[in-house]
Amino acid sequence: MIRAITNLLDSWFGIKEPHRNFLARALPEKINVSYCLGGMAFTAFLISLITGLLLSIYYVPSGRDAYSSMVALHDKVWFGWGIRSIHKWSANLLIIFVLLHAVRVFVHRAYRPPRELNWMAGAIGFVLIMASGFTGYLLPWDQKAYWATVVGTSMARTVPGAGPLIETLLRGGPEVAGATLVRFYSLHVLWIPFGLMLVFWAHFHMVKRQGISGGL
Amino acid sequence: MQRRDFLSWLLKSAYGALGLGCLAALPYLYRDGRGDIKTFFVKTIDVDDLPRIGVKQVEFPFRGLTHKAFVVRRDKDLFVLSPVCSHMGCYVNWNFVENEFLCPCHGGRYDMTGRVTGGPPPKPLTRLPHFIKNGFFYIGIRA
Repeated sequence: MIRAITNLLDSWFGIKEPHRNFLARALPEKINVSYCLGGMAFTAFLISLITGLLLSIYYVPSGRDAYSSMVALHDKVWFGWGIRSIHKWSANLLIIFVLLHAVRVFVHRAYRPPRELNWMAGAIGFVLIMASGFTGYLLPWDQKAYWATVVGTSMARTVPGAGPLIETLLRGGPEVAGATLVRFYSLHVLWIPFGLMLVFWAHFHMVKRQGISGGL
Repeated sequence: MQRRDFLSWLLKSAYGALGLGCLAALPYLYRDGRGDIKTFFVKTIDVDDLPRIGVKQVEFPFRGLTHKAFVVRRDKDLFVLSPVCSHMGCYVNWNFVENEFLCPCHGGRYDMTGRVTGGPPPKPLTRLPHFIKNGFFYIGIRA
């Protein structure tokens, strides 16, 4: 049945040929498991995305209700604790896989021309992922989250000149409060995922155009 | 089976597992709110540590949070009082000097049995269910 649907769609839109070009493209001979690290990172991202969508059903991004909504997620929602754990662990794995992927690309010198721009896209993606980790850490709104964000945002103050300005901008006020939570929530669920998808789109299309580097 | 067929079968199985995983999200998403509040009995202190007379505050962990309750022995009577003030839900404290439970928020007062003796509380302190099993004192909390 899937084949019939695919054939029908192909007869309308001609979808088979471009996908065959991509899925059955030539790869370098000396390829190994370490070439999967980017894909593993993307899989971890997808898991974070799906579990994040599920978490957003029950999370209340307000200073008054955030913590109790998280407790309610654990206590009252079927497998709520599990979805939250999967979100946390996939996020951790995402950072690990991204780092290993970067090491692999570096060791294979795959950042060299003509792939400089793709390395930069990856670097931007890495910064966005770290930002996602930092903003997501505040959302449980418990003591650990609160003080981690107080310390983390106060580091911005050490920037020469513009430090206090950046700190206030990050916190949305003089100190970490409900306004900070809403701001971090917005960054975590809207701005950063949107930015990441743009970066990933560029990253993958550049890989498709340029092919995979021949390795060592 | 050829390598190509095996990989194709593997891919399809992975998609199938993914689909089933998505079905598992349905009970997560569905909530009607019934049966949300239940009484859970939590193991607290050794029966030897129960108060011989008067009020004792016990603290016990439940689902990662520390809860507290007051165990009261009065004459032959043993009962457990919730520390939650019936006015606005602050935690009351037992005051040894005044022999009363005092609420720090709006000055509510309760005597040793939980009856209101002053301030704004509309109702006495809630008595919590409890039992003794295998030498330990269990307190029932609603969560």
